[in-house]
Amino acid sequence: MRIAKRVGTYALLVVVAAAFIGPFLLLLSTALKPGSQSVFSFPPDLIPRPPVVDWFIEAWTTIPYGKFVLNSLFYVGVMVPLYLVVSAMTAYPLARIAFRGRQVFFLLFLSTMFLPGELMLIPRFLVMRELGLIDTYAAVILPGILSALGIFMLRQTFATIPEAIIEAARVDGASEWRIFLSIALPLARPTLAVLTILGFISVWNSFLWPLVALTDQSKFPLALGIAYLSGVSGADVRGLAAGTVLSLIPVVAVFLFLQRHILSSMAGAIKG
Amino acid sequence: MARGGAVREGPRRVVGQRALTPYLFMLPGLALFAAMFAWPAFISLQMSVSSYRIVTPVTFVGLRNFLQLANDPQFHHAVTNTFIFMGLFLPWAVVLPLLLALLVNRRLPGIHAFRVAYYLPVVTSMVAVAVAWRYLLSREGVLNWLLSLVGLGPIDFLLDTGWALPALATVEGWKSMGLFMIIYLAGLQGVPKEQLEAATMDGANAVRRLWHVTLPALLPYISVTLTLGMLEATRSFESIYVLTRGGPEDSTLTLGYYIWSTAFERYEIGYASAAGLVLWALMILLAMLNQRLTRQQGV
Repeated sequence: MRIAKRVGTYALLVVVAAAFIGPFLLLLSTALKPGSQSVFSFPPDLIPRPPVVDWFIEAWTTIPYGKFVLNSLFYVGVMVPLYLVVSAMTAYPLARIAFRGRQVFFLLFLSTMFLPGELMLIPRFLVMRELGLIDTYAAVILPGILSALGIFMLRQTFATIPEAIIEAARVDGASEWRIFLSIALPLARPTLAVLTILGFISVWNSFLWPLVALTDQSKFPLALGIAYLSGVSGADVRGLAAGTVLSLIPVVAVFLFLQRHILSSMAGAIKG
Repeated sequence: MARGGAVREGPRRVVGQRALTPYLFMLPGLALFAAMFAWPAFISLQMSVSSYRIVTPVTFVGLRNFLQLANDPQFHHAVTNTFIFMGLFLPWAVVLPLLLALLVNRRLPGIHAFRVAYYLPVVTSMVAVAVAWRYLLSREGVLNWLLSLVGLGPIDFLLDTGWALPALATVEGWKSMGLFMIIYLAGLQGVPKEQLEAATMDGANAVRRLWHVTLPALLPYISVTLTLGMLEATRSFESIYVLTRGGPEDSTLTLGYYIWSTAFERYEIGYASAAGLVLWALMILLAMLNQRLTRQQGV
């Protein structure tokens, strides 16, 4: 009876898992199918016979795929470090320095959570136009650096550093910058790691704002490039699938490699 | 050295420098806040009472945009669609993830791998997810094949005015279920074990334990998923952009897509800004309403 129950549980777990992984496997199978094999057949013919990599090559060559990848890497490489630096610098005084209006400033930064990017599309577009930055890399980068989540999580982390350590450093004459750089930041390393991963995922997947901020294809990040590929008339469905699979590899790899940290940090962030 | 210098210049100056330090730390953050949040928010208000189409100068029109919205059938349609979409999406955010969390909240070998699998769509891009689901939802797709096995279909999910919106809600719900599952998993850690055991001793079955012990303990988390789910639903855009472009016949035209297309396809910036403010007000209202509801239940 107990064993039967356990088998039943696993069967259910596997069926549900298939529902979550299935669409990605379907995408992969489409990307690997030879041109002679129908993509849409009834009943579906899911095993590529034989599997071919032609469509991956096609996806890479018909659109400036490599350029999109480089762009995405560039956006990640610039935005994530800036995001960490700005979040940490903003969070440190909010957590550790007593000053007038601390609570007000904290609420100010927290309020950015209630101004989601979707609603800021039009006004940010106008601000960028005013600044002459439309269709530049800077237009994509600037709005993504300040985030309430980063400030909030780092403030929590800095607040847990024992007062005695910081007080001892102050008595020894260390400036706040010194304390920030040599005590607070090293102790916040786990939080910084989590924010790096979350930042990477969100920048790699970014789509809507670049769609508005850019017209020049050569600056497109990968997700926007994929949407563009899906709009190119005559693009083969297999090529589109292959391009999409390629775009998934980095995030899925990072996620699988670090899933324990990601899942536990998500749970931790929710609990506050 | 530094301290010696400070003493010579008098304590006042030291205080002055110290007092400036927190603001210097926050300088980059404050600059970005001003440029990327405060300024745009101000412009948003200004545009909503202006007529502006990029090629024409900005002219003040008072509340004309809002009056026009009130009489714009397409806008009404977008608002209605947004609420329908929310209704279709919320079960995927509030109910199904709870069942998922209950399923994986047990000590079994390999259970972590299943949590990872259920969370996977959360980290992938909506564009990639939409492309994958396009194959599933097509007339000759796997879903229609499954339907045919039970003698139903075929249904053109994305081309049928009655099916397109539920199909999109399914795609969005499927993608974000894992995130809501994690929220519930965090909440399940806090369900008092003693109470569950006591209930079991009293002969309560699994359903009664869920209803009388687990659910009450999870109420704050249900409030979180409800709020996040509503916000997520009002923001839906990318799946619509890739899969239906608001069609067929505006059946998947939601507020988010309406605003985007009004601003960046029809270039009616002022008018779209007014619609954006309506969406904003709607989101704040929903968040407040939700707080009220959960307060009343004693959370």
